[in-house]
Amino acid sequence: MTGASVLDAPRRPDADRGFGRSGAGSPFVRLLARRLLMAIPLLLAVSVLVFLLLELMPGDPARNQAGMDASEEQVEAVRRRMGLDKSPVERYFGWLFGIFRGDLGRSSVSGQSVVDMLGDRAPVTLELVTLAFAVSLLIAIPVALMAARRPGGIFDRTVMVVSMTMLAVPNYVLAMLLVLVFAIMLRMLPAIGFVPLEEGLLPNLRSVLLPVLALAVPLAAFYTRFLRGDLVEQMNAADYIDTARAKGVGPWLVLWLHAFRNSSFGLLTIVGLNIGTLVGGTVIIEQIFAMPGMGMMMLEGAMSRDVAVVQMCVFVFAAVAILANLFVDLMYAVLDPRIRYGSH
Amino acid sequence: MAVTEAPAAAVVAVPAPDVLDPERGSLRWAGIRRRLVLGIPLGFVALLILACFVGPLVLPLHPPVGGDILNSALPPGSPSHPLGTDINGNDVLSRLLHGGQSSLLVAISVNLIGLVVGGGIGALSGYAGGWVDNVIMRVLDVFIAFPSLVLTIAIAQALGPSLPNTILALTAFSIPAVARVARSATLRIKTMPFVQAAELSGSPAWRILLRHIAPNITPQMLNFAMLGMGIVIVTEGALSFLGLGIPAPNPSWGNMIYEGQQSMSATPLLVLWPSLALLATVLSFNLLGENIRDEMSGR
Repeated sequence: MTGASVLDAPRRPDADRGFGRSGAGSPFVRLLARRLLMAIPLLLAVSVLVFLLLELMPGDPARNQAGMDASEEQVEAVRRRMGLDKSPVERYFGWLFGIFRGDLGRSSVSGQSVVDMLGDRAPVTLELVTLAFAVSLLIAIPVALMAARRPGGIFDRTVMVVSMTMLAVPNYVLAMLLVLVFAIMLRMLPAIGFVPLEEGLLPNLRSVLLPVLALAVPLAAFYTRFLRGDLVEQMNAADYIDTARAKGVGPWLVLWLHAFRNSSFGLLTIVGLNIGTLVGGTVIIEQIFAMPGMGMMMLEGAMSRDVAVVQMCVFVFAAVAILANLFVDLMYAVLDPRIRYGSH
Repeated sequence: MAVTEAPAAAVVAVPAPDVLDPERGSLRWAGIRRRLVLGIPLGFVALLILACFVGPLVLPLHPPVGGDILNSALPPGSPSHPLGTDINGNDVLSRLLHGGQSSLLVAISVNLIGLVVGGGIGALSGYAGGWVDNVIMRVLDVFIAFPSLVLTIAIAQALGPSLPNTILALTAFSIPAVARVARSATLRIKTMPFVQAAELSGSPAWRILLRHIAPNITPQMLNFAMLGMGIVIVTEGALSFLGLGIPAPNPSWGNMIYEGQQSMSATPLLVLWPSLALLATVLSFNLLGENIRDEMSGR
């Protein structure tokens, strides 16, 4: 349900007035600058919202830290030590500048620094997300190309029905079914747990295979449907396809070299917009498979009312989504010469 | 006799000429298929609403909570427990129907609020344009920047688990998304001649929004709301699965899946029932949404 920021971002007319094709005046650099300038206030606003949200969390973090049987004075001392006696505005700026200094505070439960925790947890989530994207695209692109080869054919219709069904399967349900079949019934793969890469590539991949599939299959269904629809549209309506056909390019090559090349822009946008959804999806998938990633860290933090931890996790998740969209915007410019040279 | 009968038999042997005619035959088949594609999900949703909201009132069901631990994990087909019982001895069918009630209640409320509030904001923003539009859209950008599940988890956690809070948390990501769709639909409508005619005849802005814009963006909003039903049901399930949605022991499909997970190797069916219910419901709403879209694009 993430909106299409790329799709309806206003293209100001002055953006196309190129001053030259290199250096600071080049349209690409100015596009980069404008997008970065748009991302910064957004990130700041997100940080304010995260902070406000966590302020609303019931319970007293100082009391939490000091323990239930601590005296009023002890709680007050903890409150001062944690800086909670300051006004919310002061604390917000303290928190914000802390981010720039690389000081993200400490967990009020374990006392561990949040930077260290992120260092431990983020790689796990990163591995899950990267592999999920790779797997979903590896499924979606060939399947969509084969389906678009003969729209309405038997393969195409099968793909449409299967993908429609997979789209309706929530990733946590899929996760359960995968565990049921591969871990409990067939005993081929571990049901839960994460094996770090240092203990060998194969055990690591075995431990992440089921969670990656649970994340990737619904995504693959979504991408397949999108790409197939776009390809069919291109093949039916675009003049350059007719030109390619008239030149005598074979049907597969027209699909690959011409239609897919154009459709890949739309796919890229969708992938970028999905990063937020996928990152959110890891919260529940990590929980099911007991993966010690950021999603688990956020959930554990939420359960134990560990404000510093939840704050940072939510902020990182949102920042990743924003930066991913920024990256997609820029990839657009890199891939599409019309945008790169400002002659759009 | 025999001679005159022969042509008659030949006519009878070709009972339905349109079946032989490939074009007409496939047209008829397409018509039937279209009705099925609309009818099956529509029928399923109607049946589901009936079963979940009326079923518990008229069927001789056990209560969904407070079962006897002695009846724990009875298999399906046990006397008076058609789908068996769960680990706590509660009737699975009863829990499924009551769980569906909360899922549907949450999904319908969230989407209605989303349609009215989000649709209103989006239409207003798109129609007003200028700085109003800019301010509203930048605020919505902030909400949309959050991964939806992360935002809902944070809100649900801040508010505490309960049915109304679940609805509130889910509207936080529904409203901005709906507003976006409503805005882009409004932008397209507002340049049309009939809107300009209304403006020139001096209709006030609220009247144009209500009488001219709203009816024209409704089909697109409905299509989006159908997809939204699926998304909300899935997300509500996720929240309840994580213990942040409908609080146990009250049933919801999400927390039933979670409970089932705890004993999955012994009683896999306890996971399967709510999963199937969730899947069929989401699939039906998605198909309905697709149908509305196809109708709109005039297939």
